[in-house]
Amino acid sequence: MRGWSGPLGMLAIVLAIALAARLGRAMRPYLLATLPLVISILLVNTFLYPGATDRILTLGPVSATWTGLAEALQATARVVAFALSVALLALTTAIDDLLDDLEHRGLGRRTIFVIGSAIRTVPRMIERAGEIVDAQRARGLDTEGSVWRRARGVVPLAGPMVLSALSEVEERTMALEARAFSAPGRRTTLRPLPDRPAERALRWGLFLAAVVLVGLSVSGRFPLP
Amino acid sequence: MTAVARLEGVGFVYPDGTRALAGVALELREGERVGIVGQNGSGKSTLVRQLNGLLRPTEGRVTLFGRDTAGVHVAELARTVGLAFQNPDRQIFAASVRSEVAFGARNLGRRGAELDRAVQAALEAVGLEGEAATNPYDLGYSRRKLLALASILAMETPVVVLDEPTTGQDARGVERIQRIVGSLGETGRTVITISHDMRFVAESFQRVIVMRAGRVILDGPPVTVFAAEHAGALASTFLEAPLAARLGERLGLGTTPSESALLDALAAR
Repeated sequence: MRGWSGPLGMLAIVLAIALAARLGRAMRPYLLATLPLVISILLVNTFLYPGATDRILTLGPVSATWTGLAEALQATARVVAFALSVALLALTTAIDDLLDDLEHRGLGRRTIFVIGSAIRTVPRMIERAGEIVDAQRARGLDTEGSVWRRARGVVPLAGPMVLSALSEVEERTMALEARAFSAPGRRTTLRPLPDRPAERALRWGLFLAAVVLVGLSVSGRFPLP
Repeated sequence: MTAVARLEGVGFVYPDGTRALAGVALELREGERVGIVGQNGSGKSTLVRQLNGLLRPTEGRVTLFGRDTAGVHVAELARTVGLAFQNPDRQIFAASVRSEVAFGARNLGRRGAELDRAVQAALEAVGLEGEAATNPYDLGYSRRKLLALASILAMETPVVVLDEPTTGQDARGVERIQRIVGSLGETGRTVITISHDMRFVAESFQRVIVMRAGRVILDGPPVTVFAAEHAGALASTFLEAPLAARLGERLGLGTTPSESALLDALAAR
């Protein structure tokens, strides 16, 4: 048995921040996204925990155990706490602000471009995929019929996705160059990020706390999950 | 003329709650050439997507040749309504111009000589008959756009919808599209075109529908819609009558929406 304090403490902090920022509703899709994983964790641990003998009930060849259930709930809490803290970052931090700030702290421009385009590509890809599906359906591609009929639509749907992404690369490169992407020297920003002393102190505090916790945990004085 | 498509009290609200159409009642007739204009976000694209079922009305109903489209698959409605999208790169996937053009017609079940004939006719209409074996991405943007148009023409649907066909086209390309629109109308097919190009609309269409905030605010021939008395309504959806119409107005020649109308009025004076 590992500890409950870690995941539950984390969950409590994340939920408190989410409620304070009135993000309760916005967090729901992120929570739902963990559902498939959570269900499989619950089933696998509850029924298949190795060596556990305190049975709750038996279903044919497998039986649920209390140990397994406790382990499953703990793992669930950990997964949910992790997912929600990522959600909290996504919902509270403007990507542009984050990237601007990273650049200001000396991270390479290319690295930032890679991070930024990876993040920003997702919504654009979703939009593009929608347009492609519409265009092919308008040409009579059956996306509502049987599985076999729908399977034939893979090439017409994936094709434009890849081809247009590739053909846009050159255009994007030139657009970046036209805006002096590879110009040497440090860039200045027109949009200073507000960073209050309290926030800075809190960030450092959190960083130190993490270091101390890891230290204590590794040395065995405060075993964390 | 028989009604090809009828919209009765059609309203549409996107899942995020944005209302895009409200109380649209329209009848589109056989062989009619209809231009739909209006500012960005006025509901033009949403409106034409109701015709082939890509979007379904949240209020009212849409009938094609008297048959309610509710519950009919898009792939089935594509037999009646062909829709050419704005951006050709959202549909091109084939390795040759010919097979790209054949895609839609093949989906509708055409095969063999019938398919070849439809593809050849569509390629000739857009002037790409010499590029049948070319890879689509070796063509420039404006010719890829004509290719996308050909792929809809080859489906030989009774209704053809074109979303911004003239963007990126030079004068010759626009002329070619005008010819295509004209010949579609002559063969009794209904052409519906979304455009921001008032000159193109005034020159090529018998009927102009003006939209604002999801409603049809003007509907009539160019000579009515582009008349001076409607300048205010047009301006309210950020449109302006074509130059020929404004010039005719300033010269006191009445409403002359097309260049030939303006020249005729000038000659008659």
